[in-house]
Amino acid sequence: MDLVRILLSRCAALFRRDRLDEDLDEELRAHIDLAAEENVKRGMSAQEARNAALREFGGVTQTKEAYRTQRGFSLLAVPMQDVRFGVRQLAKAPGFTFISLLTLALGIGATTAIFSVVDAVMLKPLPFSTADRLVQVGSTIAATGAGGTASYLDFVDMRAQNHVFDGMAAFRTGDFTWIGRREPVLLQGAAVSAQLFSLLAVTPALGRSFRAEEDSPAATGGTDPVILSYGVWQREFGSDASALGRTMQLGNQTYTVIGVMPKGFQFPIQAEPVEIWTTIAVDGRGGANAMIAQRGAHYLDVIGLLKPGVSIQQAQAEMAAIAGALSKQHPENKARTVRLAPLLESLVGNLRAPLIILMGAVGCVLLIVCVNIANLLLARATARRMEVAVRMALGASRRRVFGQLLTESLLLGLVGGGLGIAVALELTRVLVGMMPVEIPRLNGAGLDTRLLIFAALVSMLAGVLFGIVPALQAAKVGLTESLQKAGRNSAGEDTGSNCLRSSLVVSEVAMAVTLLLGAGLLLQSFVHMTQADPGFDPHHVLTFQIDAPAGMDRALWPGFYRDVVARIGALPGVTSASAALLLPLMGDNIRSSIEIEGQPTPIGSRPSADFNAVAPNYLHTVGTALVEGRDFNAVDDSSSTPVVIVNRKLARLYFPNQNPIGKHVRPGIGNGYGSGEPPMREIVGVVEDVKQSGPASDTDPAVYAPLAQSPFDSIFIAARTESDPAMIVTAARQQVASLNKNVPIYHVKTLDQYFADSVAEPRFISLLLGGFAMLAVLLACLGVYGVVSYAVVQRTHEIGIRMALGADGGSVVRAVLSRGMRLAAMGVAIGLAGSFALVHLLSSQLFGVRATDPMTFAGAALALLCIAAMASYIPARRAAGVNPMAALRNE
Amino acid sequence: MGENKSDVLQGTLDLMVLKTLESMGPLHGYGIARRIEQVSRNGLILNQGTIYPALLRLQQRGWIKAEWGMSETNRRAKFYALTRIGRKQMAQETENWERIAGTMARFLAVSE
Repeated sequence: MDLVRILLSRCAALFRRDRLDEDLDEELRAHIDLAAEENVKRGMSAQEARNAALREFGGVTQTKEAYRTQRGFSLLAVPMQDVRFGVRQLAKAPGFTFISLLTLALGIGATTAIFSVVDAVMLKPLPFSTADRLVQVGSTIAATGAGGTASYLDFVDMRAQNHVFDGMAAFRTGDFTWIGRREPVLLQGAAVSAQLFSLLAVTPALGRSFRAEEDSPAATGGTDPVILSYGVWQREFGSDASALGRTMQLGNQTYTVIGVMPKGFQFPIQAEPVEIWTTIAVDGRGGANAMIAQRGAHYLDVIGLLKPGVSIQQAQAEMAAIAGALSKQHPENKARTVRLAPLLESLVGNLRAPLIILMGAVGCVLLIVCVNIANLLLARATARRMEVAVRMALGASRRRVFGQLLTESLLLGLVGGGLGIAVALELTRVLVGMMPVEIPRLNGAGLDTRLLIFAALVSMLAGVLFGIVPALQAAKVGLTESLQKAGRNSAGEDTGSNCLRSSLVVSEVAMAVTLLLGAGLLLQSFVHMTQADPGFDPHHVLTFQIDAPAGMDRALWPGFYRDVVARIGALPGVTSASAALLLPLMGDNIRSSIEIEGQPTPIGSRPSADFNAVAPNYLHTVGTALVEGRDFNAVDDSSSTPVVIVNRKLARLYFPNQNPIGKHVRPGIGNGYGSGEPPMREIVGVVEDVKQSGPASDTDPAVYAPLAQSPFDSIFIAARTESDPAMIVTAARQQVASLNKNVPIYHVKTLDQYFADSVAEPRFISLLLGGFAMLAVLLACLGVYGVVSYAVVQRTHEIGIRMALGADGGSVVRAVLSRGMRLAAMGVAIGLAGSFALVHLLSSQLFGVRATDPMTFAGAALALLCIAAMASYIPARRAAGVNPMAALRNE
Repeated sequence: MGENKSDVLQGTLDLMVLKTLESMGPLHGYGIARRIEQVSRNGLILNQGTIYPALLRLQQRGWIKAEWGMSETNRRAKFYALTRIGRKQMAQETENWERIAGTMARFLAVSE
């Protein structure tokens, strides 16, 4: 009890020190006054009375000191004293303090900003109470690991047969067009299995969740249930509770609103948040042709909630066994397996490697900053040798001196960290703005407790890192030796500290080389990507998406699309227009199995190809060259021979040394209007390979079917224009609306934008890494400059003698330069060796350039050597300008 | 420091202060110092300053509390008073002291 009270009052005293001191002064003054008054009453003169009072009191100062000791912790009082002393010391050297704080703020700021992005995207747990038990159940091709989506029937079987999950859910996203209002609205939607929300342990804020039976279209009786996001409920229904029970016409289907999710709820977590959820029943209409009735339609993402105590490895083993059995039972599942991953990990996916690279790079920059400041501190410690020696002569212990110097560094680190947080906030905003938008959860990046803790830890670590060596060095000082030496100006024998400083510079040059090299590789890779021929001409092409009008018969879609294309094509400034199911580089592709004529293979072991359905003139519109044969034309419709155009890759792979024209292939989708097996199609043309997934991806075999022979309910219109494609957007919108006012146009984007988006991530990473590399090189350059010019100052005397003995300016310049270059060369050599070991981390990010590209290695080395030469040249010139007489007289 | 002034054992001084406050009621630092000197019939001449760390110590333990007030000569001064805990502790400390004093007395008597 007592102890606690004492501790508390002592702690409180630490923070109220000034006021308490005044209080004490006042009290002691009162004491003396009272004593003096009494003495006067006894007949003393005023002066005598006062003197006597003081005498009786004993030492006022001693009393205050004893009082203060009693008041505070001596344990804490010492650091507080150190802090105050440190502040004074730093204020006395504003130049040093400014430079250190500036570089620290940059280093800590950049590190914290990158961390905030990494944290938001990769580390922060998902906002569900069951997050640590949620896993993604990816249905993949066993050999390649490709794929990830499962068919509904697989999902149902896996859900029924497993013993490791408390529940499983399947979902897919898709757009819904809300019609029957003044203007059609496009809503981001997701079709989910009913149990999804209970797996996430989230209940609607209003209304109810889906019931298990609502997964089946039979149970919903024609009006499927729909749950709104909080945002849509606010925006479209004015937060009105009577929204429950209302109907919405979404495309062809009528839905009843049954619930509203809580504010901020998101699932699946993606950059464009989902606005409405409906059950998987939407995919259940159409009997045997329905998506959920086809074992081969691998289109659903599946997640599972692990039973408590079941590890992901156990679950993996059991699920793989189930998938193995399924692959034996069903030819559509041949060669498929499942792969489990924590949901968070699967969400981060491909971003992991680049984010880790960036984090490593920025950590390197921070290390270089620390090295630089350590160097400055070492230089200062040499200059402060006299001060330290005097303090030790006056009785300060080594520990006390060490502690004091380290406190100064920590102080610097923390103030730098504070500034760094300000830098980080600004930088995070810029980063988030610059980042490719597809990154989920990025919006969560910003100031929060985690970030502050991180910044504080980094600052402290930095403080210790750059402070410990100089502090140790200073506290090691031999007393007499130093007092003697400090009297003299030349500290030429100070080899220990110089050696230390040199090795610090070597290490920062090494790190700078590594960063520069990495940035160089990524930058080259990015340039290669933008220069790679994508197989089409992305300039001056406007694209947008439209859906077939709700309720329109399937057979009429091609006609409707043809009308739209005709209208768009007739707009002034449009040279060519067409339609397609998919656009190149849109980050989406449809894979289909194909059967090659004359090579009968059972379903499941057939090769696969990218599938696209295009209207006549599409290839010409996007600028993909026809190599052989003909384009589709108006005759290729539902009543004519099924035809197909293939890409070069497919022709080369499956018809080597033959003329593919006139041969037949059977794509697994695009069966036109009938049910049953899709038809064999005659190859009428061969086109150039097009990069579908990204400029860095390999081209896969691809087939193009005529849109009129395999209609889809949602397609893209592409229009090549003479000038800026943006100018026709309004006209295009009007044209489509005049054809059918319930058909909105959306995803309006130029092909150039698709192209830019497809390289957004590599561009972002190479830019950022480039920035870090520049910073690192600049700092390393400052480091070299600092060490060399310090050496010149130390050796002024020696240089003076040499020159007095006849050395000319040139030889002095050479001597100094060679010193700087020796350091740089060592750093570069170590950096190159280190890089050689590290670059393989980058190789997954590289395109068109090898991780061990000798030119890049040589370039980075040369660049740093040149910069180091410049940094050494300035002090070298200064050395050559030394006046021998002045230098010697200074002694 | 004057040689005629005695260093007082820490615990002793604390107890003297407590006793003084118990018998005199709220008192300022000078008053306490004077009172101790008077009661000891000037047999104990303090460095009056030494009572301030003691006063602080007692405050930190919560045995006494301090408050600014006016002296009889209208000088602003800090007045100390016993707290309830202090009153209780007083009894205990007195007993402690008497035991030590008794032990010392017996010890000295035997040694002679």
